[in-house]
Amino acid sequence: MKYFKTLLYSRIWNFFRIDDRLLLIFIAAIVGTLSGLAAVILNRSLSASFHWVSLYRDCWWIFFLPAAGAALSSVFLEKVVKEGAGHGVTEVIYSISRYGGLLRLRSSFSRLISSCLTIGSGGSAGPEAPVVISGAAIGSNIARYFSLNDRQRAAIVGCGAAAAISSIFNAPIAGIVFTMEVILAEWTIVNLTPIAIASVAGTEVSRFFQGNQIVFSHHQFNIHLIDIIAVLGLALFAAIASILLTRLLEFMRKTSHSTRFPVWLRAAIGGLAVGIIGIYLPVILGEGYHPVQVMIEGAFEQGLMFLSITLLAKIVATSLTLGWGGSGGIFAPCLVIGSLAGLTYSKGLALLWPNALWANDGCFALLGMAGLISGMLQAPLTGIFLIVEITGGYNVILPLIIISALTATICHIIEPSSFYLKDLVAMGCLLRPGTDARVLADLSIVELIEKDCIRVRQDMLLGDFVEIIKKSHRDYFPVEDGKNGHFLGMIKLDDIRPYIFNSGMYNVVLMGQIMDSNVETASTDDDLSEVLHRMDKKHLYSIPVVSNNKFLGMVSKATLLDQYRKELIVQTSD
Amino acid sequence: MIKLTIDELAKGLELSVSTVERWVRQGRIPIRKSGSAYLIDKAGLKKWAVSHDLSFSLEKKKNEEEYILKVSLLSSVERGGVFYNLQGDNMEAVLRSAVNCVPAIIDKKELYKQLIEREQLNSTGIGNGVAIPHPRIPLSNGVKEPLITTCFLEKPVNFNAIDDQPVFVMFILLNPTVKMHLSMLSRLAFCLRNNSFIQFLKKKPPSEALFEKMADFDIQLESSD
Repeated sequence: MKYFKTLLYSRIWNFFRIDDRLLLIFIAAIVGTLSGLAAVILNRSLSASFHWVSLYRDCWWIFFLPAAGAALSSVFLEKVVKEGAGHGVTEVIYSISRYGGLLRLRSSFSRLISSCLTIGSGGSAGPEAPVVISGAAIGSNIARYFSLNDRQRAAIVGCGAAAAISSIFNAPIAGIVFTMEVILAEWTIVNLTPIAIASVAGTEVSRFFQGNQIVFSHHQFNIHLIDIIAVLGLALFAAIASILLTRLLEFMRKTSHSTRFPVWLRAAIGGLAVGIIGIYLPVILGEGYHPVQVMIEGAFEQGLMFLSITLLAKIVATSLTLGWGGSGGIFAPCLVIGSLAGLTYSKGLALLWPNALWANDGCFALLGMAGLISGMLQAPLTGIFLIVEITGGYNVILPLIIISALTATICHIIEPSSFYLKDLVAMGCLLRPGTDARVLADLSIVELIEKDCIRVRQDMLLGDFVEIIKKSHRDYFPVEDGKNGHFLGMIKLDDIRPYIFNSGMYNVVLMGQIMDSNVETASTDDDLSEVLHRMDKKHLYSIPVVSNNKFLGMVSKATLLDQYRKELIVQTSD
Repeated sequence: MIKLTIDELAKGLELSVSTVERWVRQGRIPIRKSGSAYLIDKAGLKKWAVSHDLSFSLEKKKNEEEYILKVSLLSSVERGGVFYNLQGDNMEAVLRSAVNCVPAIIDKKELYKQLIEREQLNSTGIGNGVAIPHPRIPLSNGVKEPLITTCFLEKPVNFNAIDDQPVFVMFILLNPTVKMHLSMLSRLAFCLRNNSFIQFLKKKPPSEALFEKMADFDIQLESSD
């Protein structure tokens, strides 16, 4: 510990502390490197386990393997590290919008291990999201170590996520764009610089250990105008596939939750089903990068029938794996499903118009991938840049842009929130920067409370109260019990105006008689948007804040507007 | 770089303590926290505040209301001075001679014009032979602190007062702000409601006796607040 302290306060840090931006860049480089390493480690462990599994390919019990892997991974997550299943990207987005990117240290390795078990044993899922949450958790904990503020921490968490994507795909731009578009949803120059640095660091680490190779290299494609027109159809096809995947995942999750089995058994059931499909169609097992490579090269020899069955099977297998409690992400399955969809579409086109000169099958497979990624994430830029970088396919950029934009739009029309944000929207927890929800979530009742109300006791006479009115700045007077100070009700000047000039009533009317004891109140830990909703319903302009039976002050819409504006200006400008 | 406590900061920014704390934690405001103190660059924070529609100032603002409460009748009457045997047969004439008595006013003509204007709107003779002439709006180059000039007339003059009694004493009321004017007016009215005080005035008391009375009223007013 002593060693750490000297590290923290040594002169080197002071140099970087000269300017926060400099410090941020420095931390970004560290986080990028570590996050890149996490990606390399997961990649290596996955290929090791694939190698191990392939040795037993012919054993009869092989179809049990995905079940065992999924069960183990869910036991590990649930019992050992006590974290929920799921891919983790949603958690990262939620933590950034609600807690300034605070993530637990154990999140930096928990998903790596669990997803390695799920995918390595043959479950149909991707390693990217687990690496994203690992990178993000690494970033969050390093940021906490340097005691950065929330906004800086969120940027560093973004750095971890960007480096993870950059490293695993050897795609630095995709990492940056994914983080800006999906994770942070905020394009500011302040964030961009550290994220770019982290992306470069992450990519460099991956190149150091695994060489600078394009993940899915391919030959040049010749694209004609007719292909660009054909892409319109593919966009629709890809959108249907993504919607199908989203809906089926949702359905599987609901079905699995409605069963009363323990979590490990649910995961095992899903895994077993995947294993059984895998007996007939081994293509669908695992992350599936090898078949993608084959498809892009245009060397996939099977016919249309087989392709469409495989496409469906992959969608079902992915939903089974993830929906029933396996651990992993959606990225890799999207790429596989996308290339299968593209290939199916291409074969279908060739069947319908055999004489037309279509581009290579591989080209459509590539476009299909872009469509699926853009559609599932509803992030067209991520789709475009990811596919360009992992295929080195700059020559297909025009149809790529069209399919990404179109699929994202179609999916957005049918499913207004993307796969990652669905749960957050359903819980009302999606707090993107600069939105009403975000401003209201940040403001608390305590910040809005006005304490200049004069309290009166319930046994005070109207005559004495008139003297109080002289001194008050407000029209509202809380009435308290003389003995224990408990809040009893409110007196609104408007309601008693006719009596305060009638001196005959001064000595006969008590405050307790004229107060309104049935008033709507708020408490300090109430959610502001919920309090506002209640005020709107009853057409109130202000509401007393009462906590533990004690009156604390008033919250009024006039002050709220003041604070709301300040908050909005501060949140949206830099 | 200067060190401030959270309370000083909140006061300077005119925000609640919890808002400032949250903004610092979220990194929305250029302030660094070190331990329990907050480090700020004064010029930088001022600039930031202006660009975010806020204000930042460490100078203590003069609280006008507290100041009004502190200004006493006695000090105002002392500042204004007490004058006896003012000449004049009518309202205009007595005001003209009274204006020349008022201290600290350079533009006597302007003051006279304003007092006459106010009288034409409605007489300031409030009954019992007392008038409180005052300008309708605070004088532009007028007084910095409230003052009340007491003028005992040589002979009572018709002021069109509400009870048609001729006026024997005038309190000329000059104030820097409307708010202060109302406060002084209400204090003076409190004294003039007292019948024995009117009788006391009728004897044209020496200034020391008047000041003593005013001090008494100040104490009464203080305790009723």
